[in-house]
Amino acid sequence: MKTLRYQTLILSLALLLTVPACTKLDVPPMNIVQDDDIFGSANGIASYMARMYGQLPIEDFRYTPRRGFNHFWIIDPFPTITGEALSANQGSAETEAEYYWEDAYRLIRDINYFIQTLPTYMESSRFSQDEVNGWLGEAYFMRGVTYFALAKRYGGVPIVNEVLNFPEQPIEQLQVPRSSEEATYDQIAADFDQAWELLPEQNQMGRANRYAAAGFKSRAMLFAGSIAKYNEITLFDHENRQLCGIPSERATAYFKLAYDAAKLLEGHYSLYRNRWEAGNKEAQYQNYVDLFFDAASPENIFVKEYGYPESVHGYDVYNIPYQFQVAGYSSSVNPTLDFVELFDGLPKKSNGRIDVYDDAGKYRLYERQMDFFADAEPRLRATVIFPGDQFKNEAVEIWRGIYTGDVAGGIDPLQAEGSRTTYENSSAASRLVTSAVPQQTPHQLPDGTLMNPAGRSGRFYNFAAPALTGFSVRKWLNPDMPAELVVENRSDQTWIELRYAEVLLNRAEAAYELSLAGEGGVDYVSDAYECIRQIQERAGATVLSSPSELTSIDIIRNERRKELSFENKTWWDLKRWRIMDDEQNGRTYRVLMSFYAEQAGRWFFDDRFEERNSIFTFDTRWYYQQIDPEELTKSPNLVQNPGY
Amino acid sequence: MLSGLLCTGLFSCEELDNYDPPAETLKGRVIDKASKAPIQTEMGDRGIRLRLLELSWSDNPTPYYFTCMQDGTFNNTKIFKGTYNVVPQGPFVPLVQRDGSGEIIVDESQTVDIEGVTDLTFEVEPFLNVEWVGEPVLNDNGSITVQARVSRGTTNPDFQQEVTEIALFINSSSYYVGDNNYDNRYTVRITGAEANDALGEVVTLTTQDSFSMNRDYYVRVGARINYNVEGAQRFNYNESKKVEVLQ
Repeated sequence: MKTLRYQTLILSLALLLTVPACTKLDVPPMNIVQDDDIFGSANGIASYMARMYGQLPIEDFRYTPRRGFNHFWIIDPFPTITGEALSANQGSAETEAEYYWEDAYRLIRDINYFIQTLPTYMESSRFSQDEVNGWLGEAYFMRGVTYFALAKRYGGVPIVNEVLNFPEQPIEQLQVPRSSEEATYDQIAADFDQAWELLPEQNQMGRANRYAAAGFKSRAMLFAGSIAKYNEITLFDHENRQLCGIPSERATAYFKLAYDAAKLLEGHYSLYRNRWEAGNKEAQYQNYVDLFFDAASPENIFVKEYGYPESVHGYDVYNIPYQFQVAGYSSSVNPTLDFVELFDGLPKKSNGRIDVYDDAGKYRLYERQMDFFADAEPRLRATVIFPGDQFKNEAVEIWRGIYTGDVAGGIDPLQAEGSRTTYENSSAASRLVTSAVPQQTPHQLPDGTLMNPAGRSGRFYNFAAPALTGFSVRKWLNPDMPAELVVENRSDQTWIELRYAEVLLNRAEAAYELSLAGEGGVDYVSDAYECIRQIQERAGATVLSSPSELTSIDIIRNERRKELSFENKTWWDLKRWRIMDDEQNGRTYRVLMSFYAEQAGRWFFDDRFEERNSIFTFDTRWYYQQIDPEELTKSPNLVQNPGY
Repeated sequence: MLSGLLCTGLFSCEELDNYDPPAETLKGRVIDKASKAPIQTEMGDRGIRLRLLELSWSDNPTPYYFTCMQDGTFNNTKIFKGTYNVVPQGPFVPLVQRDGSGEIIVDESQTVDIEGVTDLTFEVEPFLNVEWVGEPVLNDNGSITVQARVSRGTTNPDFQQEVTEIALFINSSSYYVGDNNYDNRYTVRITGAEANDALGEVVTLTTQDSFSMNRDYYVRVGARINYNVEGAQRFNYNESKKVEVLQ
């Protein structure tokens, strides 16, 4: 048993040598970042901030209702379920499919930890009071933004304003029940108020200053006021906290908060008009395009920056018209005719629908497609690519087919009004040459020249995506990006989350609601009018001539839908106004198809229900989103929203 | 790998669960208070669902839901024994109503001990009655024309919101046709003011487009009002009918 003796010796030696060293083992692990590293220096704090801003729930280029935040693949964004646009893979009404809950509370925890810990480092790290205030202000701003992202989806949510610790605290203390929807909005207001007090006048690009806090407050309070006034779905818990719905008597107070917050920005921001010229539609159009790309725009209040190659998105590749496609994607957002009809400067019937016929009921003929849009509002042209308009120094070729029939005496409507049959299955088929797919056989015109049956960017009857509606989206598309770079994960234009136009629209809407509620003290209608006038003038739209023409809240709402289209705002507006179920009640959206009449050498347009015949019916349960069922299993105190 | 096998082998349990599976039955029907006829609905959570609160161990339990069949009956044979509060939620005047501050002002839910077979009948006032007028007519061009009448099922003015939609649902696959299962190529609907104006009138609806004459079809009419029951505007229906195309 000699070996055993050696082993004992080695063991005791080992014990002898290691035991005294134990006291020195109580050192922080080298592979985990410590509080000292973060809160001990401005750089540490900048890194903590960057992470929080990166997780902030901003519905930007990388957000879609199907896949949630910060996803690279952004097919089917919000506009394809709001009626602003149609997408080939969107055949019915939908709501957000991702649960935003766990990530929200993780971020709120990080924010609470920051708020709790930073002041304890103030002296040791020699931070000035101003620095600390600014950082705390940003934290409160982000907490307000995060609670609002929850409240607009779920109604009342658990309010957790301190760091919870497990296992130190018993589990019952961690199962925080939902607060009332009203209390949640009051918390949001309080966070933004605190941010307003603490934040500086100016901050680094992409970070919040005090005006961002005020602007977001106006957005959130307008939401709360709308819920109080228009919501009809209620939910109470067993202690009679109103988790869904806000007592209607609070509506006026919330609208007042929204109005006051919006007014704080007056004089500090302005609408972008650098290239705007009175009476010059071309300049007004170019100005509206530039507004989304000029980093020095006085309209930008809060933005999210991108930069190739570190931080990228794919907005251009997914939305470019088909003829510019190099990477297998294109045209996922095709504006509906219903959306286009909201704008001024188009030939319309008295019911507001587009008018493509002359007095005799025949199609009006145009030498060039763009002649149809000659008087269109510049803002519309900057938002939507018209068939035949220029983009990247090329005409965007969008047409449905060539009309080979007789044109003497005018062209009769191809189909009866309201028809849902495809052209190919209709009696007009024999007079049309169309194309199923982009690989098409040119058709010989009477003069011998060749012409494609469909445009290079659509629309093809067996390949629905390109120019599904006869239009393609233009807003946010980078007009200067070389064609070969339009690939996935290559775009890096800045997302403008909050711009002054929205603040003016918040203010106008809140003011008009206050006037409807009979609030005095300020001439609210005139104030709303002035906000709307500025928006309309910059847009090149028909400007209301006086406050007396502001006769309905719908004027303000429509202005908002036009101005903030394709900015992921319309979904929330239609929801908070509680009109989404009227908007999408067995709704089939309409499209504008253009045809070339070869005998006449002229173009005509046909408005109709879209040919896939997709029907959108909004489920009113979606006014309050379903809470992740998995979260319910973690806490018996969490009450599910109605109907799920 | 060996240790992995060992681990799972050691910790897996050979014995069956020591709890008995749920074995009690809750069945019954939701019927029209006036006519005593069953309430026609659709399957799934936009039809009629039953909310169960098990009060045996908590006065604030997490609710348990299951749904009615298309003919307004329900049958669940896997319920744990206990005391339950049961209430159906569907396209009828809610049996539990709260005022603006959340106080319960109407409560026609039933609290029962579920043991063995428990049979419950709930009498309700549907928002709308949807009746067939005559039989569906098959047209030569591959379409079906039906007539129906939609009328108020309740005199309670709080639940007489405008009619938002009347639809003729059609499918070629099963008797279970409705908003949960229809062919959107042929289904027609009238909405908005047009739907509301049709209240009390005989409406004639013809399926759109033309369908194949090589199969049979199922049709029925549904209508809903602008009132949310548990978040959703739920349809009232008539009974579904088969239209024989193949002779």
